[in-house]
Amino acid sequence: MFLGVSTVCGADRTGEQIYQQVCASCHGLKGEGTIESYPHPLVGERSVGELTEYISKSMPEDKPGTCVGEDARKVSQFIHDTFYSPTAQARNKPVRVELSRLTVRQYRHAVADLIGSFRGAGRIDDKEGLRGEYFKARGFRGNARAIERVDPVVAFDFKDKSPDDEKMEPHEFSIRWEGAVTAPDTGEYEFVVRTDQAARLWINDLKQPLVDNWVQSGKETEHRESIFLLAGRTYALRLEFSKAKQGVDDKKVKEKPPAPASISLEWKRPHRITEVIPARSLSTSRPSEAYVVTTRFPPDDRSVGWEKATSISKEWDQATTDAAIDVATFVASRFEEFAGTKRDAADRDEKLKTFCRRFVERAFRRPLDDEQRAMFVDRHFAEGVDSETAVRRVVLLTLKSPRFLYRELGARSPTLRVGTSEANKPDSESQATDLFDVASRISFAMYDSLPDQAMLDAAAKGDLKTREQVAQHAQRLLADPRTRSKLREFLLTWLKVEHVPDVSKDSERYPEFNATIANDLRTSLELFLEEIIKSDTSDFRQLLLADGIYLNGRLAKFYGAMKDDAELPADAPFQKIDLEPDQRAGVLSHPYLMAGFAYTGSSSPIHRGIFIARSVLGRSLRPPPEAVAPLAPQLRPDLTTRERVALQTKPESCQSCHAMINPLGFTLEHFDAVGRFRKEENGKPVNATGAYRTRNGDEVKFAGVNDLAKFLADSPETHSAFVEQLFHFLVKQPIRAFGSNTRETLRASFVKDNFNIHRLMVEIMATAALTTHESKPQTPTTAINQ
Amino acid sequence: MKTSNTSRREFLRDLGLSAATLPFVLNLPSLGFANQQARKQRLVVMFSPNGVVPSTFWPDEEGSEFKLKESLSPLEPFKDRLLTLHGVCDKVRGDGDNHMRGIGCLLTGVELFPGNIQGGSHTPAGWASGLSIDQEIKNYLQANDATRTRFGSLEFGVMVPERADTWTRMSYSGPNKPITPIDDPYQMFSKLYGKLKDRESLKSILDDLQADLKKLASSVSAEDRQLLEEQTTFVRELEQELKADAQQAVGHAVPELEPGIKEENDNMPKLCKLQIDLMVNSFASDFARVATFQITNSVGQAKMRWLDINEGHHEISHSPDSDEKAQEKLTRINKWYAEQLAYLAKRLSETPEPGGQGSLLDNTLIVWTNELGKGNSHTLDNIPFVLLGNGLDFKMGRALNYDKTPPSRVLNAIDQGVDFITGKSIKPGKVAHNRLLMSLAHGFGHRITKFGNPDFCGDGPLSLT
Repeated sequence: MFLGVSTVCGADRTGEQIYQQVCASCHGLKGEGTIESYPHPLVGERSVGELTEYISKSMPEDKPGTCVGEDARKVSQFIHDTFYSPTAQARNKPVRVELSRLTVRQYRHAVADLIGSFRGAGRIDDKEGLRGEYFKARGFRGNARAIERVDPVVAFDFKDKSPDDEKMEPHEFSIRWEGAVTAPDTGEYEFVVRTDQAARLWINDLKQPLVDNWVQSGKETEHRESIFLLAGRTYALRLEFSKAKQGVDDKKVKEKPPAPASISLEWKRPHRITEVIPARSLSTSRPSEAYVVTTRFPPDDRSVGWEKATSISKEWDQATTDAAIDVATFVASRFEEFAGTKRDAADRDEKLKTFCRRFVERAFRRPLDDEQRAMFVDRHFAEGVDSETAVRRVVLLTLKSPRFLYRELGARSPTLRVGTSEANKPDSESQATDLFDVASRISFAMYDSLPDQAMLDAAAKGDLKTREQVAQHAQRLLADPRTRSKLREFLLTWLKVEHVPDVSKDSERYPEFNATIANDLRTSLELFLEEIIKSDTSDFRQLLLADGIYLNGRLAKFYGAMKDDAELPADAPFQKIDLEPDQRAGVLSHPYLMAGFAYTGSSSPIHRGIFIARSVLGRSLRPPPEAVAPLAPQLRPDLTTRERVALQTKPESCQSCHAMINPLGFTLEHFDAVGRFRKEENGKPVNATGAYRTRNGDEVKFAGVNDLAKFLADSPETHSAFVEQLFHFLVKQPIRAFGSNTRETLRASFVKDNFNIHRLMVEIMATAALTTHESKPQTPTTAINQ
Repeated sequence: MKTSNTSRREFLRDLGLSAATLPFVLNLPSLGFANQQARKQRLVVMFSPNGVVPSTFWPDEEGSEFKLKESLSPLEPFKDRLLTLHGVCDKVRGDGDNHMRGIGCLLTGVELFPGNIQGGSHTPAGWASGLSIDQEIKNYLQANDATRTRFGSLEFGVMVPERADTWTRMSYSGPNKPITPIDDPYQMFSKLYGKLKDRESLKSILDDLQADLKKLASSVSAEDRQLLEEQTTFVRELEQELKADAQQAVGHAVPELEPGIKEENDNMPKLCKLQIDLMVNSFASDFARVATFQITNSVGQAKMRWLDINEGHHEISHSPDSDEKAQEKLTRINKWYAEQLAYLAKRLSETPEPGGQGSLLDNTLIVWTNELGKGNSHTLDNIPFVLLGNGLDFKMGRALNYDKTPPSRVLNAIDQGVDFITGKSIKPGKVAHNRLLMSLAHGFGHRITKFGNPDFCGDGPLSLT
């Protein structure tokens, strides 16, 4: 045995030879793995140094310690450079931009914008709250209007009094609030009107009330209805309230005993609790009605960390049919309005055809050639077909067409190259990049929907050819609420909380931590993210370093430790508060994340460590070799959480990953299961020291969350990971398909731009939108012989 | 409050159909015919407002030998399938004026909740505090595989005002849950046949879609082509499913509606006809076994100019008995309603029962009713209940009178509970309408022991068989 090893590790052997003799029998000739011994490919992100250390200590598995020193270094270098490292993987695996369908989110937004483009946006303004008109009568007669004002929220208990003694009587008055509500997330919203009087609420559709309680009957005071809304959009809202007897006017009744009256307008956002709709979600805007596709689609594949839409299913196909039918029915019910014509107008058919052509062009994101116009529009208006049926057919065919359903299909069709505009002529340049494709790449990446008119115009004029031109449009779109909504969702995804985790806690240990606190915490995090999204500097590092946190009265009481012993009144609204500076750092220690990455009764350094390793540093970790239940605290009450975790992950098979995970997670041990700062656990002082070995092999040590945050904010690994994840979230194609240097180039510009996330988005667009897509895959190179 | 889009999905969800079976459901009509063997029974409740003129409405005779008076004269062809029930009273009291309780308690048999709707007199009220008998029967039928239909029940209306309040709602799916009748025939059409039209449109574009897919597939790389080929397969499958559907759907002719009839007072006769035609069609396709047909609303103000009557119905109904002109007009108005009933009965009798014996009328009971007994007194006694058709195996061709008190003694008997001639305590001869509501359920084999307020259910269902 000893002899064998010495032959293997002879000084003249190359790394490749050592690998073939010692490792290949289990790991395969090219590191692809073998079914019998080690059925995983040898891929990862350790540095050569880390690999060397690992191999010296634990390889080969049956004889650890027999491949050490220079041999271990040589074989590590070979493995690393040939197939293990990300660069080696990039060389070996051909990647390409694959044909992708619209994601579910893109489908919904595209349809909303397609219909919306025929209606105009309405008037959007930034003023928070709702316009309130108060009437000294049971109805809304103009001459009875006594007060006009903006109410930040609707939450009034008038008791048996008048809203204003001087202007109206207490026994009979009515109020109408108008404005808009903005949906932060996509999903089913419940709107709740809580009142003991007559009230009606309209959302989006101002013709049909969502909640109708004009008849106040029995003791019910809570009136609740659901509606599906799309994130980042603003919907018209009207609320009417009347304190009076309805029906026959009882003016002759002399006796009017005092009676109480109250009203509040509340909502339950998806996965949240019912609360009064806050002023920041209300505005005095007057948006047009939005069309919302409510068809259920099968969810997109997110297994790679972003919505990958390169496969379809029967369920998806059926959903596109159902949705197309719904849209066709809707359009058929008001096509004359959209087309700007009337039943008996002389030019009605022409107007309808023009409408249909525009509809198809907007859906396909490009002009139609003659053949397509005949196929998608004209032939449906044949003799004997009534115009409603024709419009219905056009809409169905358009929304079922791959030209609508898939991204970047347009330019691939030869017939589409013969466009009506100059830019679409099949000269050599537009062969390479179709400018309408460029426009779609920008719009879908920035805000998941169709290009706006400005971009389509630019494409038609040939003004989307240069980086500067693309950047200009991307820059312009940064202010679009849809773009901000997408960035918000990205940041939540980056933080691994896009799906609102359940943060309920052990009620015996944390009796004051309830659903309301959990809901407040989520709001606190979202307010912080929104601040970064809105700021012009949108400095990525602030996510990790900022010392302020948004608290309301409830949270301040629960989390305490405000700077200079400041205090908030119990009912204080959300405001930015400075905490003791050595205790918190940016989102890393935000109590919502700390509570989310924790068990119900104790912190979880492993969950926290994995979050930092995977999401923040972009390290890839394999799933644990076997499912392990965490060691219950009560089984070892003498141990701290840190000690328990260390004990349980001691085995060598765990250490390959936990050597990285644990020391990262331990740095957050100052935060308990609800994210409160603690100095002691079970009477022992908390040890929050930790460490990390960088991809370059450098060992960095941390004394707590602030050290960790500073390191992460400055680390190129963090920057790279952020760049890559943002790229994928926006573009929804693998970054490597855009060139092996793309990530590094973008990272460098991110640094140069002071980590401005907005600038990074613009740079991503400037890079991705103009990249020529090969329709033929590259030939795989054989790395092993390189 | 819900869009038709969501209701279709809800329907699919309610049936527990998975996505895989969805294409077949495109052919919703074939979901009808839940049961080809057992006899299909149906119930229609038709409503008209403001009471009747008793002297021109109720037959004088009792039993099978009776004469139809002016108001009911259009029903002459169906006399042997007719059952008039005099002396059935709405005894529910509590909040709300008689018009409100008249319609709100008519099919529910239970009090209104206190609320904020002020009537012409009495205390304000809200919605009924229980479900209505049509919904009770619908739930019973829908709970059983053999009697379940696509919609269970359909709520038709004609000229129901655009406001939801106690006077405009008759059907309730539960306490505080009024059902809005659909008074636009085109909306009802799209609820009934929208899917069929969608299917036709869908079929008409599939060839184009296939051609487009083929063209595109030839222009992309082999890897990407796979995706398009998959979609091509799905489209082909959809085409086959639609074809199979079309074969099943033979015999489910979609009715042709006269287009462009606006919802206006003067169009009431046309609107009634359209709604009746749609109802008969939906029975023939077995979309539902229960229907309500609410013409206007409680306190309805139809101006029957086509009968040369220019005042509103409710207005005239307040005229005293001594105003003969007014009583004559009211008689004509009710005769017109009887004509609508006769048209419905005629259509049902002319339509063969699909897959069964006889006509639709042989298996349908129509109950024509009203929120008041008499307009100028606002009484809830002697509510008009005119039953037509053989759906529930009641013994038809009769005029029944539950009011055994001689007319001269009626007032006294009700007020005092004593016969002022004999001085004896009398049991009023009239019966609570809750008992009739129970009879309707029993007619479907749904043997409920009470309905609505149990105090009015004593002695159980009326024996009508």
